[in-house]
Amino acid sequence: MRITEEERGYLWLIGCTHTDYRARVALLRAAPPAELIARAEEIFPPAVALPPRSVREREADAFLASLEKKGYFAVTLLSEDYPEALKQISTPPLALFGAGRRELLRARKFCIVGSRITPPWAEKLAAKVSGEISARFAVVTGLAEGGDLAAIEGALPGKNLISVLPCGLDSCYPAAHASLKEKIRGAGLLLSELLPGEEAKKYSFHARNRLLAGLAEGVLVVSAARRSGALITANCALDFGRDVFAFPHNVGSVHGEGCNDLIKKGAYLATEAEDILSYYGFEAQKETHMPLLSAGEEKLLALLRATGEAHLAALAEQAGMQVFEASALLSALELKGLAVKAGGNRYAAV
Amino acid sequence: MIAKIVCYALNGLEGVPVEVETDVNKGVPSYDMVGLPDAAVKESKERVRSALKNSGMLFPMNRITINFAPADIRKEGAAFDLAVAISLLKASEQLVGADVKDTVFLGELSLNGDVRPVAGLLPILISAKGHGFTRFIIPAGNAREARFLGGAEIFPAATLNEVVGHILGTAPIAPLETAQFVPRAGSRAATDLAYVKGQPMARRAVEIAVAGGHNLLMVGPPGTGKTMLARCLPTIMSDLTFEEALEITEIHSVAGVLGEEGIVTERPFRTPHHTATTVSMCGGGNKIIHPGEISLAHGGVLFLDELPEYKRSTLEALRQPLEDGKITVSRAGGTISFPARFMLCASMNPCPCGNYGSSERTCTCTPAEIRRYRKKISGPLLDRIDLQVEVDDIGYDDLTSGEARENSETVKARVEEARRIQACRFEEAGIRTNAEMGERELAEYCALDREGDEILRASFERMHLSARARSRIIKVARTIADLDHSEAICPKHVFEAVSYRTYDSIG
Repeated sequence: MRITEEERGYLWLIGCTHTDYRARVALLRAAPPAELIARAEEIFPPAVALPPRSVREREADAFLASLEKKGYFAVTLLSEDYPEALKQISTPPLALFGAGRRELLRARKFCIVGSRITPPWAEKLAAKVSGEISARFAVVTGLAEGGDLAAIEGALPGKNLISVLPCGLDSCYPAAHASLKEKIRGAGLLLSELLPGEEAKKYSFHARNRLLAGLAEGVLVVSAARRSGALITANCALDFGRDVFAFPHNVGSVHGEGCNDLIKKGAYLATEAEDILSYYGFEAQKETHMPLLSAGEEKLLALLRATGEAHLAALAEQAGMQVFEASALLSALELKGLAVKAGGNRYAAV
Repeated sequence: MIAKIVCYALNGLEGVPVEVETDVNKGVPSYDMVGLPDAAVKESKERVRSALKNSGMLFPMNRITINFAPADIRKEGAAFDLAVAISLLKASEQLVGADVKDTVFLGELSLNGDVRPVAGLLPILISAKGHGFTRFIIPAGNAREARFLGGAEIFPAATLNEVVGHILGTAPIAPLETAQFVPRAGSRAATDLAYVKGQPMARRAVEIAVAGGHNLLMVGPPGTGKTMLARCLPTIMSDLTFEEALEITEIHSVAGVLGEEGIVTERPFRTPHHTATTVSMCGGGNKIIHPGEISLAHGGVLFLDELPEYKRSTLEALRQPLEDGKITVSRAGGTISFPARFMLCASMNPCPCGNYGSSERTCTCTPAEIRRYRKKISGPLLDRIDLQVEVDDIGYDDLTSGEARENSETVKARVEEARRIQACRFEEAGIRTNAEMGERELAEYCALDREGDEILRASFERMHLSARARSRIIKVARTIADLDHSEAICPKHVFEAVSYRTYDSIG
């Protein structure tokens, strides 16, 4: 990790002093960052107790060494590869800590988010869309279950994935995703504006969502109830002038009301990756490969597409077959990735 | 004079002959019992004294010594009363000319001289018959239980006087007539699959489970008929054979839970509450080792309602008996094996709020909550449950009216046919059902074609199944093929089998 004097000043200010965001911005305006450590007594308000200069220098070196030891890198506002889009938001983080493929910072980015409670069909669709989008964009998302997880699963094989954490890089929230986090670190990029070691707080999710929207050119909301964290991301995106896309949901489905509201208010309706890719002028790679289906599977798939989500017994009745025959065919469709189990013996087409 | 009378003690399910030796000597009146009698046996002194007096006989005022031989095993319970009384009468020369040789006396005495029934009579009779005893005097209250034991003279006695009259030959008791075993004699037909509304998936799963001897987990919101379905399981299982019935009756007799009929004629259905302790589930006890719920469910169904509510340690204790079909309980008093070949049927809610997958109500649980709820059931236990089926809250009748629902009799016929196919197949393998297949049988009888193998590979990738789940799926597919009268396992059988393991992938 090569660090310029300016960046070193930045990182000392962020990592080794007890200042808040506003104070840091004021201090950085007051003097060139490169001189921050050396001339701290002159620059800091007189009330602030500062250690002597030699200690400050040692603090800065120790902080940088600790980052290096854990394999993290730091990107400051002054760094060359600080994401351009992020500079445009009202409160850009002064530094980002990252682990993994740093070059993804320069890639074009698109954000996919969703509520933790996401209907199974939306998860499948989100994973598919995420996979196709990751061919053109680095997919930006969080690390939660539901919509985030679907986006991760879609984009991970393409290794074009940025996951922004609501906690320091060496913590993991939710803890159950620790191994997933390591996978992302290997194949993609983990980012956080918090110092390593900081735990997730209630407000850090809000702050993290602002980064998701800030990093990306557009945001796709996979699922969101009326009060959902995914909507915070969408609102930030609107504030920052990003494009907002949303999956349409059934009327009355609680976990999709937020998405439908977004569409009502003018968000783009998206049902496939092409809706998003063509908006940005890319040609979507039409998937021509359709798995071979038996006559019974074709019949059930057609029924599923016609009814949306249906109960197994109803499908069997309409297709005129025994319930266990239908169940075998549906699990065949599920394995071929064309149907998904929605709980309670109900199925949906993808 | 010394008198020797044969009685029996119980060690687990096995009867152990005990000789009651009584010596009546001249001397200061006293009454000593030796040979490891426990408190209940020692108390027999008072019962015997009163019973003798109230039956018009003498309690000798001499120096009395009673020995229970062999002296090294612990004697427990009140079943020795009758033997002690007879032995005492014989030793005090009140039974001159009576032939008590080779007769086994069993029974507890009440103060007025009545002979009261004892627990565990049938296993004692079976063991004693095996030891060459053919003449028994038993409590009249146990007659129903004993009448199924053929090839022995069994005399049920209601009072001590009847016993004395019988052995003196003055008033012989009529020997018990051997009864013919009739399966389901006491069946009240309270449950039948015909009464189960809707639930086509679960009905099918129940059928497969019984046909192949698989364990079953039903997942569904409260009030959707999970318990009802479980209660139907015994109604579609094959009828008990006499040997099976005796085996089950032995266990129930030892536990003292035998019903009116005296023999178990229906497959047991045990529903221990979720507060059950490991000991009550697996068996145990302080001195006497009692069979637990899993042994009482031997040959039948153990139904665990609300599976995640059971204590983890209790559930984990089920793992070994599920594999071995028996449970070995070790205590300071000894080590005893009870049979425990049961079918496990469990039910649970899909999530803490119970509405996951419901069509009408919305589930408010986060994935983390659902995961935590389902984590309460360990992977190894889940791996032993071959079939997992969702019981949903949609009434099938809402969708189709007029569809005739099959009754248990029809399903049972199909199940028995599938069982017959399995019996033929496993004639030499020494197992009975598909669920019991080991790796060797899997390789021999469950060859998958290339397509079937592909399906399984795809399901592992898509559904994140555990490697152990593979053989379970193949076993279920084998059963489905058997129900279909198909020699080979076809892709459709594999697909259906896979659809009963979806629960692993959610967790």
